[in-house]
Amino acid sequence: MTMSPQSTNRLATAASVALEPEGTAPASKRRRRVAGRLSTHVMDNRTAYVMIAPMVVLLGMFVWWPLLYSFYLSTFEISFYEEPVFVGLQFYGYVLEDPDFWHSIGIGATYVLYTVPAIMIIAFLVASFIRTVGRKVAGLLKTTVYVPTVVSAVITSVVFVFMYRADGGLINWLIGFVGLGPFAFLSDPELALPAISVPGIWLAFGITTLIMLAGMYDIPQSYYEAAQLEGANFFQRTWFITIPLMKNVLLYLVVTATIAGMQQFELPLIMTQGGPTNSTMTPNLFIFNQFKDPTPYATSFSLTAALILFFVLGGISMLIFRLIRSDKAIDA
Amino acid sequence: MHKRITRLATVGIAAAAVGVMLAGCTPANSNTTEDGKSKVVFWQQKFEDYQQDWFKAQVAEFNESQDEVEVELLVVPADTWDQKLKAAQAAGKAPDVKTTSYGNVKPMQATGQIANLSELMDADAFSDIAENIAPFVTVDDGVYAYPLLVEPSTVLFYRTDLLSAAGIDAPPTTWDELLDDARTLTKGDVYGMNIAQTAPDLGWSSWGLQYNAAGDFPLRGDWSEASADDPAYEDLAKFYQTLYTEKLMPQEATYPYADCSFFGEGKVAMSACGSWALGQLSANPDWAGVWENTAVAAFPSSDGDPTSPTSTLGGWTLTVDAKSKVQEDSAAFVQWLLADDDTDRLVDFFTATGFSKYPARVSVTDALAATPEAADNPFLATITEDIVPYAKAEPSYPWDVSLAFATSLEKAMRGGDIPAAMSEAQAAIEDVIEKQKLAGTGSD
Repeated sequence: MTMSPQSTNRLATAASVALEPEGTAPASKRRRRVAGRLSTHVMDNRTAYVMIAPMVVLLGMFVWWPLLYSFYLSTFEISFYEEPVFVGLQFYGYVLEDPDFWHSIGIGATYVLYTVPAIMIIAFLVASFIRTVGRKVAGLLKTTVYVPTVVSAVITSVVFVFMYRADGGLINWLIGFVGLGPFAFLSDPELALPAISVPGIWLAFGITTLIMLAGMYDIPQSYYEAAQLEGANFFQRTWFITIPLMKNVLLYLVVTATIAGMQQFELPLIMTQGGPTNSTMTPNLFIFNQFKDPTPYATSFSLTAALILFFVLGGISMLIFRLIRSDKAIDA
Repeated sequence: MHKRITRLATVGIAAAAVGVMLAGCTPANSNTTEDGKSKVVFWQQKFEDYQQDWFKAQVAEFNESQDEVEVELLVVPADTWDQKLKAAQAAGKAPDVKTTSYGNVKPMQATGQIANLSELMDADAFSDIAENIAPFVTVDDGVYAYPLLVEPSTVLFYRTDLLSAAGIDAPPTTWDELLDDARTLTKGDVYGMNIAQTAPDLGWSSWGLQYNAAGDFPLRGDWSEASADDPAYEDLAKFYQTLYTEKLMPQEATYPYADCSFFGEGKVAMSACGSWALGQLSANPDWAGVWENTAVAAFPSSDGDPTSPTSTLGGWTLTVDAKSKVQEDSAAFVQWLLADDDTDRLVDFFTATGFSKYPARVSVTDALAATPEAADNPFLATITEDIVPYAKAEPSYPWDVSLAFATSLEKAMRGGDIPAAMSEAQAAIEDVIEKQKLAGTGSD
């Protein structure tokens, strides 16, 4: 709710009325009434509160308390051996004016641009295809596309490092047939980020496909039959039926893939260590590298950078939610 | 009423049960073993396999030699060391004794992380440390680490067979000669040279060459001002750039600098590697053909002066944690392991290294030189006489400084504009000086 000048005036008037002596009795009566209603509400919903209590306690212990305590700690130059020095918001200034931090955010965003649209398009096409085939084939295809999801990102990184090698790597061998290469994919600042995006897409498209498929199965078949009777082709059916009815699923997938992409860590850590010339230095890898130095500065800087990254990611999520408003499905 | 008492009793029993469970989770005293001995936790960074074997055998021998102290050894992989150590420090569970590189001794001392060993060990133990190594571990009058070994970080390895075949009689002595030889030796699948090419590797492996180029590091004196814009560093950047852009060296970092596999696999005719590569090359039976044609020399200097430093003297020490509750017992273990009058166990260690690492104590160096294995070793004289005496100590400023310089060096190496790259390094180092309040704290 925004606070307009009018509403501020009304509040001020209400406050002055409430402060007058003759106003005391009705106000206390009102308070009692409110308290009574509140207690009835609590009693009525007791079971619900009891059931959500464990989750609230766990979230408080493992999310909210650590988060608040991290904010508190970020106002100190933390030392594990000497008395921490209170520095206020100094480290927020250091992080915000550090070009390397913003460069890493840019790298994360570029990685998202390389991967998220590709994941969404490939997954959509594969899911659309699986939906059209018979049950047995669909089962086989679903298992197949899910395989990359259960492969560790570390193992994928190592395998792709071998595949990208300029001397004897599979990819250079293949493109050699059309007279190209060899390319030192992981040592070229222009090619390294696109190169690590490929295993990123491969790892993520399987689970995305299955979630899209679940969304597609929820769309009543009668819609498509009606559209077909009207003469709608595949693209028209996709554009006017599938995509609008999967809006919430797509929104969820875009947000989670974007956040996961911004937080990419294992692939650049193992494949390029953030290089060459910081061209694959994603935000989490940057923070991790800062953390390693044995100085109090490094500890506080990495903590503060992590908190700022939290806000950046929250901001990006909010932006996506704003741009693509989630609605209740039309037919639900 | 009865119901209320039952409820209270239930709550009381539950609270008592939780208390008992929590008490069961907490050890009575983590600094004491079950049989009442003082427990010293020792973290060793993982190195070559023979080092793990040696440390394990020594710890077992120490534990058997007396009844008061029990040392518990944990080998920690190098790539997880930093974060594991920091997490342990944050939790108040840092190891009592740990391996520490020379470069980290002074930063750790400055932040109060390590104990002053001169207050915990016999004074005689320190008089045997070599004169050129003592300053690496000494701050004012205190000794904060006991050195185990030194190893030059930059040595020129070359293939005698390939050099002879190309008509090159002797290894290069200047950077220009090295570039010429690399051009001659680059043929087919074999590159003429290999050297570090990523910023994290260049950060430390180029220290010696930085010193060689400009007579000092990019952050010098009392650390008040950055000197990365010293024009002499442009020659160094040009040297790296020529090697990379003329494709005289591998174009991708398949192996990190510390791993000399490019040379072992026969893919390069010359390579800059640390002296530890001698151990790596000799131990691999697949590389026997390369090993029998391997020779080493001091890395060339910019002007050919053989006494000018081209390498830093890296290496490892043992330190005792400043918060350890068993500092005296920890120091007793360090003294037994590294500073004992009986030099046999250290001579065994250095023999096992294949003379790829060198003692930090005078008496151990003498004892090692007297062994028949040392007399037969073709590399020992080159490294101990031509390289170690001229090598510089690693700089003790924060790693951020080295990384900032190396990132610019890497940009230049891959064809970037050299003066622009050095200006970037200058600005980045000035930023580190300001934010980490380095001005006036240096003593390099």
